[in-house]
Amino acid sequence: MNNILIAFITGLTSGGLSCLAVQGGLLASSLSNQIEQDFQTASVKNRKSKKPIKQKPSKLALPIMVFLVAKLIAYSILGFLLGMVGQVFQLSPIARAILLIAIGIFMLGNALRMLNVHPIFRFFVFEPPAFLRRKLRKTALGANGSSLITPAFLGFMTVLIPCGIAQSIMAIVLGTGNPLQGAALMFAFTLGTSPVFFAVSYFATQIGAKLEKQFVRFVAIVVLILAIVTINSGLTLAGSPINLSRLPISLYPQPQRVDAIQAGPAAQAIDPAIGSPVAAKPDLADTEGSTITIKVENYEYNPAEIHAKAGVPVTLRLITKDVRSCSRALIIPALNVQTILDQTGEASIQIPAQKSGTKINYSCSMGMYGGRIIFDL
Amino acid sequence: MTKRVTLKIDGMECPNCAMILESMEDKLKGVKKAEASYRKAQLIVEYNEAELSIDTIKAEVKRLGYEVTGVI
Repeated sequence: MNNILIAFITGLTSGGLSCLAVQGGLLASSLSNQIEQDFQTASVKNRKSKKPIKQKPSKLALPIMVFLVAKLIAYSILGFLLGMVGQVFQLSPIARAILLIAIGIFMLGNALRMLNVHPIFRFFVFEPPAFLRRKLRKTALGANGSSLITPAFLGFMTVLIPCGIAQSIMAIVLGTGNPLQGAALMFAFTLGTSPVFFAVSYFATQIGAKLEKQFVRFVAIVVLILAIVTINSGLTLAGSPINLSRLPISLYPQPQRVDAIQAGPAAQAIDPAIGSPVAAKPDLADTEGSTITIKVENYEYNPAEIHAKAGVPVTLRLITKDVRSCSRALIIPALNVQTILDQTGEASIQIPAQKSGTKINYSCSMGMYGGRIIFDL
Repeated sequence: MTKRVTLKIDGMECPNCAMILESMEDKLKGVKKAEASYRKAQLIVEYNEAELSIDTIKAEVKRLGYEVTGVI
């Protein structure tokens, strides 16, 4: 339920703009006849009445709605199918991480394309094959302007050109390995994108060319930021030592061993937000570091970096208290651990003895939050 | 007689522009096939020389909001 809400909010906040940038053309094609018709009517009336041309966007509401409903159905079916595929081929965290990084690079290229940085970035966009373009064009332009079949068909066709964010959700859906959950996630995401699609399309005829250019730039910047977030998620999921959350530590390395001695033999933590070591709370580690405790919170793992005893088996205690975010879905790639924690409760993971200096990274299943265990006590 | 020409196009900003350019296949008499590529920024047109001239095609490109920057 929680993931479905996240998918909806993702669609509402970022998916709408990103997907509109990719699929807006299809929607515009499906509306072109209606707009052309409205424009011609307005022009004729204008010539007769000599009043300024005024578009009537109200006539666009129905085709836009039909387009969006068709899109919603198509993506729900796609979610169901992806969940089925995921059921057969369960993606490993590393495979998912590679997928996320690849999607991030694709989005980055797409953003740079929209910003017209270099023609090479045009290769980062999916160009439908000529036969499909011909079919889409003939449907869009050939149908009667008032026909609702065109927007319905083109709304359905948007599954062929998913945007970067939609592709990210598709990767997550693939990872669920559950057709019904997959359909629900894609439905929630697509529903979330709908208000932005509707609002922008509805008022599109009112937007001037200049404003449209500014809008494309704005979308490009949003996609650029999301690309960085997606690549970072992939890196976190892969357990990479280089990612944004560890950047402060990388930039301002601290003499950890000295601090560890100062803090005593117990495990110590580093707060990535301030980049400096802080003594772990006494209840977070036992005196030998053979039992370590991580508090799983909604937006972080606390402590994000914890030290444990090397050379002996270590018990990792995970405490959750009313956790509703994806941090509940914990992944430790090095140990091949994938688990979904209770919203409130406690779980233990036995970690076999590790060599001194070993660093084990962990993260949530979406790579949004992460941390690491360092075996050096 | 059918002639094939490849035009370099300026002004395409998304793959949808390719679809707009290809619409000349339906609207311009004498065009047998029009295939545009956003990636390559080009338009390949197969047309009947007896019915259509290259200048008419260039004018149609301009009317659709793009510019022919060269003939390949």
